[in-house]
Amino acid sequence: MTFTILRIFRSRVVLISALFLAFLLLTALFGPLLYTVDPAMGDVDNLRSFPTLAHPLGTDDIGRDTLARLMMGLRVSLAVAVVVEFFNVVVGAGLGVLAGYFGGWIDVIVARLADMLFAFPGLLLAILISAIFGSTAVEFAGGAGRLLLVSFSLALVGWPLMARYTRGQTLSLKERLFVESTRALGASDRHILWRHILPNLAGLIIVSATLDVATVIVSEATLGLLGLSAQPPQTSLGKMIVEAFNYMTLNWTQVLFPGLVLALLVLTLSFVGDGLQEYVERG
Amino acid sequence: MPQFILRRLMQLVFVLFSITFITFIVGHLAPGDPVQALMGNKRDPKLYEQLRHQYGLDRPWYEQYAGYVFGVLQGDFGKSYRYAGRPVWDLIKQGVPVSASLGLAALALSVLLGIPIGVLASVRANGVFDRTAMAVMLTLFAVPSFVIAGVLQTLQVILYQNSLPNLPTSGWGKPENWVMPVLVLAAGTMGYLARLTRSSMISVLRQDYIRTAWAKGANARRVYMVHALRNALIPIVTVLGPSVAFVVIGSFVVENVFRVPGIGFVAVQAISTRDYPVIQSVALLLALIVAVMSLITDVLYSLLDPRIRTQ
Amino acid sequence: MNLLKISTAALAASLITAACGGATPTPVTIVQTSIVKETQVVKQTQVVQQTVQVQVQVTPTPAQGTQVLRWALEGINEPSTLDPAKVGDSQIVFAAGLIFRGLVQLDAQLRIKPDGAESWTVSDDTKTYTFKLRKDLKFSDGTAVTADDVVFAITRSLDPKVGGGNGAYYLSNIKGAADFTAGKSDKLPGVSALDPQTVQITLEQPSAYFLYQLNFITGYILSKKNVTDGGDKWYEKPVGTGPFILKEWQHNQKLVLTPNPYYWAGAPNQMKEVDLVFYGGDQGSVTAYNDYQTGAVDVIGAFGQTPIPSQFLPQVKDLPDFKSAPQFFVRYIGFNNKSKPFDDVKVRQAFARGIDKTKLVKLLGDGAARSQDRILPGGIPGSELKVDGLAFDVDAARKLLAEAKFDVTQKLVLSYGTEGDNAKVVEFIVQEWKTNLGLNVTAEPLELQTFSQKLTDTYNDPTKGLQMYYSVWGADYPDAQNWLSQQLRTDVGNNNGHYSNADFDKLVDKADVEVKDVTARLKAYNQAEQIGVTEAGWLPLFSPNSNAMVKTYVTGLVFTGQGIIIPDWSAVRAQ
Repeated sequence: MTFTILRIFRSRVVLISALFLAFLLLTALFGPLLYTVDPAMGDVDNLRSFPTLAHPLGTDDIGRDTLARLMMGLRVSLAVAVVVEFFNVVVGAGLGVLAGYFGGWIDVIVARLADMLFAFPGLLLAILISAIFGSTAVEFAGGAGRLLLVSFSLALVGWPLMARYTRGQTLSLKERLFVESTRALGASDRHILWRHILPNLAGLIIVSATLDVATVIVSEATLGLLGLSAQPPQTSLGKMIVEAFNYMTLNWTQVLFPGLVLALLVLTLSFVGDGLQEYVERG
Repeated sequence: MPQFILRRLMQLVFVLFSITFITFIVGHLAPGDPVQALMGNKRDPKLYEQLRHQYGLDRPWYEQYAGYVFGVLQGDFGKSYRYAGRPVWDLIKQGVPVSASLGLAALALSVLLGIPIGVLASVRANGVFDRTAMAVMLTLFAVPSFVIAGVLQTLQVILYQNSLPNLPTSGWGKPENWVMPVLVLAAGTMGYLARLTRSSMISVLRQDYIRTAWAKGANARRVYMVHALRNALIPIVTVLGPSVAFVVIGSFVVENVFRVPGIGFVAVQAISTRDYPVIQSVALLLALIVAVMSLITDVLYSLLDPRIRTQ
Repeated sequence: MNLLKISTAALAASLITAACGGATPTPVTIVQTSIVKETQVVKQTQVVQQTVQVQVQVTPTPAQGTQVLRWALEGINEPSTLDPAKVGDSQIVFAAGLIFRGLVQLDAQLRIKPDGAESWTVSDDTKTYTFKLRKDLKFSDGTAVTADDVVFAITRSLDPKVGGGNGAYYLSNIKGAADFTAGKSDKLPGVSALDPQTVQITLEQPSAYFLYQLNFITGYILSKKNVTDGGDKWYEKPVGTGPFILKEWQHNQKLVLTPNPYYWAGAPNQMKEVDLVFYGGDQGSVTAYNDYQTGAVDVIGAFGQTPIPSQFLPQVKDLPDFKSAPQFFVRYIGFNNKSKPFDDVKVRQAFARGIDKTKLVKLLGDGAARSQDRILPGGIPGSELKVDGLAFDVDAARKLLAEAKFDVTQKLVLSYGTEGDNAKVVEFIVQEWKTNLGLNVTAEPLELQTFSQKLTDTYNDPTKGLQMYYSVWGADYPDAQNWLSQQLRTDVGNNNGHYSNADFDKLVDKADVEVKDVTARLKAYNQAEQIGVTEAGWLPLFSPNSNAMVKTYVTGLVFTGQGIIIPDWSAVRAQ
């Protein structure tokens, strides 16, 4: 792969989206280093305030700084997405490639497992798992345990799709001439998988993962609405929105900011994903 | 054709097996002691063993699973923890017609609005209508339903305070109670369908046979409705199955925000009280509905596109 | 008793019935008089008996009313039962209390007055109560109430086979109740029917508050026929002596009640129906507030942890339909007194002095709560006697920590149940301790049921239990015994933190059985309270106000510190 990927930025929408995404990522990573207000600190003299100099994006119901919390929420939402996609790529793509390449019993097991999980409307299984094992997860690892459980349950319902994509692609790559000829030259399975199959799949995997991130972020927000995700003092974008609804008639900006970030995140991710997909499909 | 349906029915059996298996395993691993939950605060070792035996919890797990499936087949979904001793089905059954009618109304609305909007947008692609409509549809799709619901509710309060006609912010039973839940539930699916219809139409309109149709002098309506839409509908039908899933999940949120006493409402209540048998049964029931709906979708699909059947 | 330890919701529960009756914006002083004049009250009721008899209605008149009162029950989605022996949530205790009634009730000043019983006498040793039932007292199905029905209902509430938990708590002072509930005896000698019109109840020990306990729903009259013929779900077609009957139970929506034509004080026939609408879940009170704002309900805020969402208080507090009163509730932090570091009184005191409660009250919103430095909330008899609290004082707190050689870097956990405003308060307290004293405390949110379970664990085995917990106590009845003896006496069922002090125990034991000398009784409680407060047995934070909104066209509801009550249903008007 060369720098031809930059071609996707010829589309203005994709370019702007990518820049915005990069901005959000950088904010989540480095924002708290520059803007050092404690996201847990309540300012009782400024409850539910509109944006001011002291609080650039206003404050929430406990007087906590919304900008600081937004960065925290963004971190949580993105962290969940990263864990889920990591799992999706390693397990989903891994199993998909193995199943497609070797076929036989591996293929049968992976396919059946995937079909089984496909039987459920995705989020429903995630809700079921997060609800039932929530308190156990908290017992073991506190608030982080809950987020891990949420990530795990979203990954569990996400990997079969990834496996299905990669399996199909692997099957067709395997039949292609260059793989056949490499094999004829005596290359090992491992060599073929790493050198020929995986590099050709990379684009597809990245596209699927990018497109899936948007879904994961909204799913996390929905789980948050049902009280199954981040627990205080942690927060996530979805949780911030839900909490701010309680006083929306008093201060609409507190729904607007996290809502805007969430909607823009979802939109820009799907634009970039679409751009990437077009690139991968057309070469 | 019968062969195709038969094959799909066999797949459905596998799917149903998976659903019962997963819900059983998750319920089996759930923390907490179901027998103690049934006994409430009482501590009585003799009664405890008796109940354990009565509920078959002293048997190996595969026997319990068989019992579970057998029970489900007979409409026995187990007993609630929170409402000690009350059958789960008893708690869910009033919700089924409510959720079903709400879901169907939302699905119908999203199809009846989403597809025409998509078609209209494709007629003058990149025109003013296309751009505005698609921006709205995209927003509806991207903004989570609870945000839309909250905005609509707040709007009603403001309308009332200014002595303007308004809709009830929550509740169920009167016709006006339907408006907001149906709108919110339909919003996401509608946005998705409109966008899909538009792109599907545009790619169909580029095809040769459409050009031929134009060349033959067919009128515009005939070209769009008969030649283009029929083919454009094929990919749209395939997403109807997933759309049902989308609506089903949406009902969790919408029924709670608007206090609609459907199964989503019961489920969320069960989630907050950790009433596992109820959560488990609702998941099972909804998965069943989605599975059956996607079967119907597939059959429809094969009717529209004969190539699928022979595959 | 375990049941009561359970959840904040269950605790709140009991309050309501204690409140059934009552009036005037300041119930505070009036409650006192009732307690102080306990012996006279008995005489008063005997006088009342003649006047009351005249009021009895014999012929039922069918309801023709047109008015509908729509009342929001926040914090509940669906009652698990309406069985008086089993109900626990305050909302459902209220709902069932419109259908079922007992021998006594509270009047507008929170004094005990006759209900099903037209009069009663108390023996000289103050241990035997003899109740005369109202002549022609009828159930809502038209059948006559007999003394057997009363004995049946009270016995049933204590019956371990029925499995309610509240009876064992409220009716524990009845002779033989302990053995009966423990299953050691199948007889309850303390309750008997002398003749079809007379019920006698004998107590284990004298008690100044027995009639208040009897006024909880576990003491209400049931129709034996209704319960035994009705099967498992008899309560779906309940028959009682209250002003209303259950017309329809719309699951997950509401209860619809219509007037009881046989109600002894006259059916409230101006009403067509009373709708009790459920608003459960986290967002319940906000949804109810929205519905009130759009005119879909007439009354909000009588129930739940945060009945009127505190963020709206500034908007509504000056409106004519807004009502507010102090409430017999205290939010507090409990310490595990049996394990380090809170076995050291100085550490507890330092933690207590490290919180600026004025800021906390500000956080909760204008008019939502009053800060609290003592155990008894204002209005409970005895609260007029002074107690010195542990005031906010950073220097003193730091000094105490130094004296206790307390390592501020050690990690401590403050647990709480996720409900209402709890997260808000706990997060704030953790911050206060961090800023003021440099403490390293983490807040631990737990699901309500897990939290209750952990409290029980803490009670059973303090070494495995919680370190600190944010909790609430609400009055079951307006008496200091309910706060001091029930909370901080060594090993008492609700003393989850295992506070123990021999002097405290001696004082409350003496006060509990004192019936005649009210001044001495309250003084003993006051001394005990001072000990509990000084040693930070628990750390009182604030007492929430009871806030509600009632549409101005609704009349006849009386607002008190124990919520809204209806002394006379015939005076109620709705739309």
